[in-house]
Amino acid sequence: MPLFRPPGSSNNGDGGSIARQAAWNEALAHSTVPGFVKDRLAQTVAGTRPWVTTAGPAGLLAQRSHGIRPLGLVSGNCWFHFGYSWTRGHYEGWHTAIDRLRLEAALMGANAVVDVTMRVRRMPGTENESHMDYAVMGTAVRLEGLPESANPALATVSALEFARLLEAGIVPVGIAIGAHYDWLALPGGVTPGAATFWNQEITPLSTFLTQVRRRALQELRDDGTRLGSGVLAHTQHTELYAIEPDENNPYPRFLARYIAIGTAILHDSRSRRQFGVRPVMSVSDSGRLGVTDTTREVL
Amino acid sequence: MSETVEGLPQHARERLQGLRDTSRRGGIFTSDFSVNEFLMVGEAGFEPLGLVVGSCIYHTGIQYAGWARNQEMAVLSQAMYEARELAMTRMEQEAQSLSADGVVGVRLEVKRMDWDKDILEFLAIGTAIAHAKGHPGFKGPAGKPFTSDLSGQDLWMLLQSGYRPLALVMGSCVYHVAHQGMFQSLGNVGRNVEMPLFTQALYDARELAMERMQQEAKEAGAEGVVAMQLHEGSHNWQPHVIEFFAIGTAVKPIEDAAIIPERLVPQIVIPVND
Repeated sequence: MPLFRPPGSSNNGDGGSIARQAAWNEALAHSTVPGFVKDRLAQTVAGTRPWVTTAGPAGLLAQRSHGIRPLGLVSGNCWFHFGYSWTRGHYEGWHTAIDRLRLEAALMGANAVVDVTMRVRRMPGTENESHMDYAVMGTAVRLEGLPESANPALATVSALEFARLLEAGIVPVGIAIGAHYDWLALPGGVTPGAATFWNQEITPLSTFLTQVRRRALQELRDDGTRLGSGVLAHTQHTELYAIEPDENNPYPRFLARYIAIGTAILHDSRSRRQFGVRPVMSVSDSGRLGVTDTTREVL
Repeated sequence: MSETVEGLPQHARERLQGLRDTSRRGGIFTSDFSVNEFLMVGEAGFEPLGLVVGSCIYHTGIQYAGWARNQEMAVLSQAMYEARELAMTRMEQEAQSLSADGVVGVRLEVKRMDWDKDILEFLAIGTAIAHAKGHPGFKGPAGKPFTSDLSGQDLWMLLQSGYRPLALVMGSCVYHVAHQGMFQSLGNVGRNVEMPLFTQALYDARELAMERMQQEAKEAGAEGVVAMQLHEGSHNWQPHVIEFFAIGTAVKPIEDAAIIPERLVPQIVIPVND
């Protein structure tokens, strides 16, 4: 293993660092990436740098069995401040990051990006909740026999699952997102008076949370409609906070957030192929196979 | 601490001498394999020799970043990289002394000491293995044992796919994300807007970590990197300082690899395990 060297040639000393920042500034303002990133991506495609995949060795089988060749890791992120709408902030933050990931994949001439994972990050050591980073990354792949694509398909599924979907006549086309949040004030509290002693549903909160989820799912459907004909919503996340009364709000309040994320697919259910499913005894140890969990730390 | 096999401490030599190695078949082996993993390492044609370990307690130096500047914390980047490498090298020494072909299931862990925030412990641990029939074609770069964080099952799958592991490769970048000025913060009040300074910082840090990992893989003579993971951590550093750490197993095609067997074409199955 080589000993540590100073960072790459583009980052030598303060001057290099400042030039690098200027390049990022210029690139992101024009919806592109700096020249040194383009060079790395191009060299990776050309084979002068090693290809990179987030998939484990099983993913390499897809290369030989289905002609899916890994090109390299692509990523995008967007640090977003939500001043007036958490819902719009989530939507715009995720979509900006996804657009940037798609740009890197297009620069590599990829047909698709598989195993797309999504993470949010708050600033280490701070409690500020009004902004966060939305980051996506995945493995850009080339499908044997297809020309380079200017608009690669995105999928949160692995290369093998991607191949399986294609075989079944299903084409993953992108990532659909539905998010919604709302506030509820309960002047009488959650369990008013003697009701504390009874078994009972807290109807206002049930209704409130159901409405938040329905609105988010409506957005997911709208996003899916824009992208394709269906959504496999594999990631769903809910938060419900109780906020104590304060000077400006005399009643207890509740904040509910719900987000659903999935892979948008194009398919025709009439032409669906049936597969024979075979029961097997697996020798894998759960969690030790390096299989990527697409749901990790989505929120 | 010496960086040669001969320089291993006496107690380490004694422990290793009690283990099986390629010239002493009757010895016992140690490993942290599960039953399935043990079976699959054997299926891949390898035998476990012993658990090998390397550790490094490292004091990180001091570096100050400009409050309003995005910049790499080169002192910390170097510390994180060098300490991991020292732990890895010591683990590799133990594997070499067992005449191992490689080390699988390598775990590379970093732990902060509660009693001093500037001191970190780095641990590298894995199971040294050797080819059961003494096949010479599985060594890593420069004839040293290969290293990989792949499990025994993944090793089998990798070989079936026509590739062999070379080295655990990594790239680290510790980065200071600029603070936002008061006027900029006030300007964002009530607005939904991107914070480009923060976006750029994370983009750049990730790019540097990726670039370094790819460079290591290139120097190892790899064709590609599998099971690449990107970790983020702040290790209780000052606010706005974050580490991006890229790690994966560099691989190379096996020259005389057979055409993929029919039984390995992926099929739809349902596990019936409990």
